[in-house]
This record gives sequence, C-alpha cells and structure tokens, in this order.
Amino acid sequence: LWKAGIVPQTDERTDSHTESRLDHPWVAIVWNDPVNLMSYVAWVFRTYFGFSREEAQRRMLLVHNEGRAVVASGPREAMERHVEAMHEFGLWATVSKE
Amino acid sequence: MIRFASSGGVSTAIFTESEGSVLASLAIQVAELIQEAPASDPALGRLLPHAYPDDPVAQEEFRRLTGDDLTARKAANAKVIADALAPGHWPREVVLELAESVRWLRALTDIRLVLADRLDVDDEGLPAADADEGMLAVYDWLGGVQDSLVQALDGDGT
Repeated sequence: LWKAGIVPQTDERTDSHTESRLDHPWVAIVWNDPVNLMSYVAWVFRTYFGFSREEAQRRMLLVHNEGRAVVASGPREAMERHVEAMHEFGLWATVSKE
Repeated sequence: MIRFASSGGVSTAIFTESEGSVLASLAIQVAELIQEAPASDPALGRLLPHAYPDDPVAQEEFRRLTGDDLTARKAANAKVIADALAPGHWPREVVLELAESVRWLRALTDIRLVLADRLDVDDEGLPAADADEGMLAVYDWLGGVQDSLVQALDGDGT
C-alpha cells in the first residue's frame, strides 16, 4: 500500500496471530498491492466492515506489513459478497478455505 | 493541488479546467476500457481480480455470477466523475454527497490501477525507468486527490 507522497514505513509492529478463526471455514483476504493508498484501505475497512478506526488501521497495516489480512470469516457465499465488494473498491481480495 | 473539504457528509473541491478535463478524460477512457478491452489486457486483471486464484472452476463461477454487475458498476462510477467534470464553466466547485464521494473514491482507484499498469509500477510502487513522465505526474496527482477526499471524509466522521 502507498501513503500518498510518503515512502511506506515498514517498522510498524502488528500481531497477525489473532487473524485466524477456526469456527468458520471460509475467509475473505485482502492482499497488499503497490497502488492503493493506506488511508483509503483503512477507510474502506472502517466504512464497509464497520471496524473501529483503530481496528481498521490495524488490519490495513497487516496488509501493508504482512502482505495480507483476513477481513472476514463465515459462510462461503457471504465471503464472496465481501470479496465482490472489495473488488468494486479496487482492492485485491480473494476467498479461501481456512 | 486539489483539496477536498467535507462537512455534514458533503465534500467539495475546486477544479481548474486543466485538472478537470484531464480527470474527466481519464474517467471516460477507463469506463470504455472496463467495458471494451480485450480479456488479455492486464489492466482488466487488476480491475476484476480473481477471487479464487488457485481454483479455476470456482473462479469461473465467481466471474459468471459477478463479472457483468461489477463491470457495469465500475463503468457507472467512472461516469459520475466524467459527468461532474463535463465541459462547461471553469474553475468549478465540485459538490459531492456522501454516496457520490464513495463512487469517486472507487473510480479514482480504478483509474489509478489502470495508470499503474500502463506505467509498469512494480511491487515496490516504483514505475518503469522509461515511464511516461506526464502520465506519472498525473498518477501521483490523482493519488493526492484521492488521499485528500479520504482525509476530508475521515475528518468529517463519515
């Protein structure tokens, strides 16, 4: 991800261990890409998924630093709807089985 | 430099003729590309990425169910920008309700994705050494326009 006008920082510490949830077999994943703005991705996460600012920022930084973040888990059809929505926002998102 | 301001969910910015006509032209081109580009165009791969990169059967089904709708919505989003910046009086204040701002953000992303493909932007966000300087300047400028709208909406609490 790209912070407008500024070279991305790589030293933010994040915790990726809480991302996996075993109670739902399907997940929607957003992947890092070199085009989308950090501010925009955090805004998408906050406004579409209803995450708090802090949680949206945390998951955006996971995408940025770890290359990917799980943004939802649940039934396959629901994950496909989320991924379709992410694609309309221009984010790179995939569905997979946890 | 375009600076959006947002209040009560309404966002505004003033575009000069050169700024507005460049963005309108790109929006029209991207709307056409989404609907008419050959499947081999790599930009389409970024506009409509694979939901199932490792499962061709599931991917085919996903594309069959969502592809036409996504294509139509992306073209319509781009047209919202093109209409707001259609030829007329300049400089012009663009006034966007929240739903229109969302469509602008989506379309600005799509335009930047296509430009990034044409500039051969790599995984580090760097363009090809021989990238067109004018196009690169527009790409950077659009990133600033988009960031300004996001920051304005963020500050407005919407």
